[in-house]
Amino acid sequence: MAEFHLETTVNGKSIVKNIDPSMRLLDFLRNVLHLTGTKEGCGEGECGACSVILDGELVDSCLVMAPQAHGKEVITIEGLAESGEIAPYQQAFMEVGAVQCGYCTPGMILAARVLLNNNPKPSKKEITRAISGNMCRCTGYTKIIQGVQTAASLKEAKDQQNVDIEFENLAEMDASRHAAKEGVTRE
Amino acid sequence: MLRKKVLPVNDYTTVGKSVMRIDGLQKTTGETKYAGDIALPGALCLKVLRSKIAHGLVKNIEICEAMKVPGVVQIFTHADVPGINGYGIIVKDQPMLTDKVRFKGDAVALIAAEDEVSAEKAMALIKVTYEELPPLYDVLDAMKEDAPAIHEKGNILGIYKIKKGDAESALQCADVVIARKYTTQRIEHLYIETEAGVAYMDNDMLVIKAGTQNPHYDRRDVARVLGLPLNKVRIMQTPTGGGFGGKLDISVQCFLGLAALKLGRPVRMVYDRETSFIASGKRHPFYIDFTTAADKQGKLVAVKVRIIGDTGAYGSYGPATLNRGAVHATGPYEVPNVDIESYCVYTNNPFSGAMRGFGTPQMAFATESQMDLVANAVGISPVDIRRRNILKEGSLTATQQQLNSSIGIGKTIEAAWEKALQVMPGLGDENK
Repeated sequence: MAEFHLETTVNGKSIVKNIDPSMRLLDFLRNVLHLTGTKEGCGEGECGACSVILDGELVDSCLVMAPQAHGKEVITIEGLAESGEIAPYQQAFMEVGAVQCGYCTPGMILAARVLLNNNPKPSKKEITRAISGNMCRCTGYTKIIQGVQTAASLKEAKDQQNVDIEFENLAEMDASRHAAKEGVTRE
Repeated sequence: MLRKKVLPVNDYTTVGKSVMRIDGLQKTTGETKYAGDIALPGALCLKVLRSKIAHGLVKNIEICEAMKVPGVVQIFTHADVPGINGYGIIVKDQPMLTDKVRFKGDAVALIAAEDEVSAEKAMALIKVTYEELPPLYDVLDAMKEDAPAIHEKGNILGIYKIKKGDAESALQCADVVIARKYTTQRIEHLYIETEAGVAYMDNDMLVIKAGTQNPHYDRRDVARVLGLPLNKVRIMQTPTGGGFGGKLDISVQCFLGLAALKLGRPVRMVYDRETSFIASGKRHPFYIDFTTAADKQGKLVAVKVRIIGDTGAYGSYGPATLNRGAVHATGPYEVPNVDIESYCVYTNNPFSGAMRGFGTPQMAFATESQMDLVANAVGISPVDIRRRNILKEGSLTATQQQLNSSIGIGKTIEAAWEKALQVMPGLGDENK
C-alpha cells in the first residue's frame, strides 16, 4: 500500500512519519504518537471528545484524515499541559466542579481555549455556542459554562500581571487533600 | 464500648464542604488512562460477531474461511465456553456466546486477531446458519399463553405485587376516579466513553481491566463462565467515562477473559459507538395502567396499578427495576389502599437493565400525571393536591414502612413553588 509522507507539528514538536493515507488524525495521535488524552466517543463528529486544535481551529480529529495535518500545527490536551497553559483551565474546572467522569474534559478545555484566545471576555451565550460541539453526559453543562467563565477571569488576571501567577488555591487544595488522607489513615 | 465523639459538621474535613475531585487534575491534563487508553504490548484485538436476526437457534457456525485470514489467531463460539455459559446480575440468563439468539445483536462468535482490519475481514467470512423463530417485540404478545418461549421457563420473568387495604371497594366508593394508560420509551445511557477493556494472564491469575461500575459482580460472572475459581480472577475498574447504570452489566469482560485465558496473550477490546448501542442494556420501556381514586378534598383513597416492563432478551436488572417500579408507583404520596402488580417480561428486543432510578422515573411520569388529573377533577391546584397527600413524618408507604425521619419532600415542594412564583410571576394569582 502506498504510504503518505506526513510532516506535521504536534504540540510544538515536528513529526515526520510514513503512514497509511487512510488513517484518521485521531488514530494517528492515539495509536502512533500515543497521545491518549484525545478520546474517541462517537467516531462521527457528534460528540467532540476527540477535539484537537488544527492551525488554531477546533476540529473533530475523527473527521480529519491524518494527511490533512500535513504542514500544519496540531495541539492536543497534552500540548496545553506541557506548556503550562492549562493551569487556568485546570483551576477553573476543578474549582467549580466541571470535571466529573472526565471523558469530555480534554475536548471541552480545547474548545474553551480556542474561544478565549479569540474572545477573552465571552458572554454566556458565546460560551454555550463555543462548546456546542462538545457533549457531556454528566454535568448538565452549567458547571462547564461556569468553568469557562472562571477560566476567562483567571486568564485575564494572568495576562494583566504579565507574570506567572501562583495558583495558590490548587496547591492549597492539594495540601488539604493530603492532610485529609493522612487524617483518615490515623483514625 | 467506645463511642466516637460526634463532631459538628464544621469539624469534618469533607462533609458539608466543596472538595476537589481526587482524580480531577489528571482528567484535565489528559493523563488519565481509561480502559481504551491502556497499551499492552502485543495485545490482540477482539471483535464480536453479532446476530442479525432477533430470534433463532444457531445450527452451524462455519469458521474455516475466516481462520485463513492472515492475522487471525483464534475464533471462539459457544462450544468454547469452558464454564457455565450464562451470566447476569440477578438471573444468570445471558450466554457469553450463544447457541440461541434472543435479540438482534446477541454475541455468536469472538474473533481474536493481530489487528482490527484482519478481525473485521474474518468477521465477514464467518457463516452462521440459523433456524429462525418468530420474534416477539411486544410485551403483550410475549405474555400470551401460546407465545413462543424466549427462555425455557417462559416469558414472564417475575411478578411483584403490593396489596394494602381494600383498593377495590375504595375505588367503587370514591368521589373521583381517574384511569389512564401510560407508556414510556426505551432509552440508551449514551455514556461518552464506549465499553472497553484489556486482559492478560499474570502467571495463573486472569487480570481484566475494564470500564465498569461493578467490578465485584464482574469477577463472579467471569469466573462462572470461564470455569475458574474466584481467586484466579482479578477485575480492576479503570476510570469510567460515564455509566449511569449501563456499565453495571457485563460488556467486554467475559470476551477478554476467554481470549486471554485460552491464548495466553494480552488482549484488548474497544466497542465502537454502533456496537455500544446494539449490545448494551437500555432503560426499561414501561406499559402502565393506572387508576387513582380520591375524595372531594383531593385526598387519595386508593390506587390500582398494573405495570409491564419490557426487559428484552435478558433479565439484567429487570427484576429489581420492576420491583422498584411497583414500590414507587404511589410516588411520594400517602395512599391507604393499594393494589399494585408489576410484570417483568422477556421480548426479543435489546435487553433492558439499570438506568438512573431503577424504574422510578418511569413511574414518576405516570404518578405525577395522575395527580394533576385528580387535582383538576377535584378543582384544586396541582400544588395543593400534593400538599394534601405528601409523605410526612409518621406516614406509611405502600409497603407499610413507617417514615420516622428525614422526610424532605414537603419542603421541596414548597421551595419549588416559591421558585415557580419567582420565575413565573402571576402564576399564584390564577392557580393558588
